[in-house]
Amino acid sequence: MTQTIKYFKDRYDAIVIGGALAGLASALTLAKKGKDVLVLEQHNLPGGVATSFVRGGVEIEGTLHEMMSIGPKDSPLKIRKFFEECGVEINWLRVPDAYRFVDGKTGMNVLVHPGTHGNFETPAFEIARACGDEDGSLFKKILSLLQLCSRVYDSVNILSVTHMSKVRMLMEHPDFVKTAGYSAKEVIDTFDLPKSAVDILSAYWIYVGDILENLPFTVWAVLMADYLGYGSYVPAHFSHEMSLKMAERAMDLGCQVEFGIRADKILVKDGHVYGVRLKDGTEIFSDYVVCSAYPDKAYTSMIEPLSEVPEGALKFVNSKTVGVSCFSVVMLLDDSPENLGIHDYSTFYAPEGMDLNQIFDEYAGEGPYNYITSICTNLANPNASPKGTCIYSITALPRAEAWFNVTEENYAEMKKKNAEYFIRMESERLGVDLKEHILEIVIETPVTIAHYTGAYRGSVYGYMHTMDDHIVARLQMSENENFIKGLAFAGAHQISGDGMGPAVTNGRKAAKIILDQMEEDREAGR
Amino acid sequence: MKIRNLIEDVGGASRVTKRRQELFDNAEGTSKYYDPISETAKKLHPGMIRLTVSEIRPAGKTAKTIRFEAPALPYFQAGQFLTLKMKIGNSIVTRPYSISSAPFETRGEHPFVEITVRKPKENGFAADELLEHTKPGDVFEGEVGLGEFHYDSIRDAKHVVALAGGSGITPFVSMAKEIRFGKLDLNLTVLYGSVNADDIILKEELEQCACDRVKIVHVLSGDNPDWTGEKGFLSRELIQKYSDGDTSYFICGPQAMYEYVKQELEALQIPKRRIRFEVFGQSADISQSEDYPSELKDRTFRLKVKQGIHETVIDAKASESIAVALERVAMPVHTRCRSGACGVCRIKVMDGKYYVRPVNDGRRAEDKEFNYVHACSCYPLSDMTVRINIPVLDE
Repeated sequence: MTQTIKYFKDRYDAIVIGGALAGLASALTLAKKGKDVLVLEQHNLPGGVATSFVRGGVEIEGTLHEMMSIGPKDSPLKIRKFFEECGVEINWLRVPDAYRFVDGKTGMNVLVHPGTHGNFETPAFEIARACGDEDGSLFKKILSLLQLCSRVYDSVNILSVTHMSKVRMLMEHPDFVKTAGYSAKEVIDTFDLPKSAVDILSAYWIYVGDILENLPFTVWAVLMADYLGYGSYVPAHFSHEMSLKMAERAMDLGCQVEFGIRADKILVKDGHVYGVRLKDGTEIFSDYVVCSAYPDKAYTSMIEPLSEVPEGALKFVNSKTVGVSCFSVVMLLDDSPENLGIHDYSTFYAPEGMDLNQIFDEYAGEGPYNYITSICTNLANPNASPKGTCIYSITALPRAEAWFNVTEENYAEMKKKNAEYFIRMESERLGVDLKEHILEIVIETPVTIAHYTGAYRGSVYGYMHTMDDHIVARLQMSENENFIKGLAFAGAHQISGDGMGPAVTNGRKAAKIILDQMEEDREAGR
Repeated sequence: MKIRNLIEDVGGASRVTKRRQELFDNAEGTSKYYDPISETAKKLHPGMIRLTVSEIRPAGKTAKTIRFEAPALPYFQAGQFLTLKMKIGNSIVTRPYSISSAPFETRGEHPFVEITVRKPKENGFAADELLEHTKPGDVFEGEVGLGEFHYDSIRDAKHVVALAGGSGITPFVSMAKEIRFGKLDLNLTVLYGSVNADDIILKEELEQCACDRVKIVHVLSGDNPDWTGEKGFLSRELIQKYSDGDTSYFICGPQAMYEYVKQELEALQIPKRRIRFEVFGQSADISQSEDYPSELKDRTFRLKVKQGIHETVIDAKASESIAVALERVAMPVHTRCRSGACGVCRIKVMDGKYYVRPVNDGRRAEDKEFNYVHACSCYPLSDMTVRINIPVLDE
């Protein structure tokens, strides 16, 4: 049955499937170029996981820990710049510290602050001091490692928007080129740091979801340089502020943004997209579609007909490793952070020690998980919850396959078992029984993510950054990976990978692919 | 700077590209789609399902229990509600009802869920439909297992005192049954306030649940000289009498009872985390709410409704929410809790003035900034323009 009332125009310049950060960044980029864009979001609000929820009358952040690539107002980094260029004005609050790192086995317990404007002396000093640096030599080594990260980071920012010859690249971006073939571990090892320092410097591994042996140095360098050199930020009204302001701005620029509508099919003929079909059979036409669903899903169930999916597209998705999902216990507590003894915005805690291989193996199972990141929202955003309360979350990132055997029968038990383990673990670390302070508790799992966003296997990190699927290789090979003309993908599953900042970058990249294809088609007389 | 030696370092980018190409070359070119996590999510949250009425029986003098069956019912937690979509005259309405059957009864060979509907004193549009016109074999669309009013073993005390009034007993019957049959590890004391013995609903079900872990205490507030049980309201003295050390209090009933009980619990200095209220429904008379401009209460306004590129204009009474105005013309928005809490009926106000009762204002901060409202708890105070979701038709 098709709709008798017309809710859609006959044709759009582009249709964006998915109104999360990547999809909205695509829509904004296309709309700024004067394109007539339709955004279809299946949920009843924008943002995907970049959202908040209300429990007991209190709004609580859904997933965001901290945004990278924002930077201060006077020297904005690329995501803040993009928002400003689009006319999206976010009330950014600076996160006061980088992180506290606690190792339950060695007793290491250190608070690391970020530098500003790309200066790494503060974090280098704090890490070196915690590792017993007496003569300043360790400080120098850590500083030079972070400065290497910084040079690689600067190169990545230039090279992601500029094409240049390999010779010029080697001349102008030598450190980027020379480290591109190595894992984070291989490069870090050349600095001859004590294990204690490496452990502290490894804390952010959870933000990219792979162990340092397998993680491209390039990715790690970007992470370290951005967070430790410039600090991080959160929106005053949670990530929903970012999502909603992007959606509203897209509408101001003429986009039609529809909630509660799911595109089931992407219509393709002779290797080129020509529209989408909704669940009720309504067909909407456009030669260009940005798809936020995982390519795994698009190439196996959304492309209509499936005979239009080239073998290469299936080989592409089958060569990928789906990234981690999340298990998060989010609580509204009935006292202030000070009274509860919570002094840090962000803590990485390895109760059984910093053996990343073991931790990562545990993440492939049903729990317990022995590496967690805890966030107390109020320490960056004092008005986040009513006076005398605070929001506290504890998160691990199990791999998607870890929950394959969880069924509707044992789901509640799995949630409870892991949540209780986390709460006990954090209560012992903080010296306060958190269980005696819970006003509200929400447990987010891979199943929750799959339910709310439709993400393949409930994964929040797209495809894993690995040495076999290296970001530099992704960039070099990307041109040959647009398997269907007029179709681009936007989401964590794209080149820049996971994180809310990279989601925006991925969305902009998808818009660029579409704009290039439009140009090519125009020249070909389509 | 060097990592190994110049040749190896400079060749790194080519090396990783070659590795990636090899990975691609060795991958299979057929579908390997496998997503058990999304399958579990769908089983837990199937959305709208078809519910067939299989049995209707009295549940006291003023209420009936309606049993629904479906080929597959999702798991729910005792205390949660379901919604039913009903076509009544020219309207299409959705209403929430607490589930009075137990979660374990959705498993078994003949899975079912039950609701118990009480005859309302007035204005019972949907209740009338269920009590007077519904018969076995009728089919409804609905969503099962919604809401946050349920016991949480991490958060709550092991002893729960339920404070129930009127039809607010239903979620506790579900909990009591689940405990009685060993499916929920919890001690429950139900303090059930009614005016007279005739007003008690689900009496037999409650009695059947009584055991060492479930205690049922009827409290009558009317003039009942023969009554030997507890009398009066759910007062602090009564609450204290039945509390036992660390206790959580779950409250479900009419609004007057909420306010009274809240004050009594405060007087007992019960910590906030031990008190849980079921969501407030809408006020029967919105004009009685605080700061409501009562001179407008009898007005009818023009509501311009935008859906995609389509526009239509309908009437909207000041005394009814926008969700109701849309239901009256069979243009329903998706609703669940009807209390302003769940936000599923979130719509955008483009223009015009409106009223939201503070207790029903469960909006996100940024939604308020951009004039998004929850249609179930937004009352027009002028002509308005709203944008609502495009309806999704069935296949």
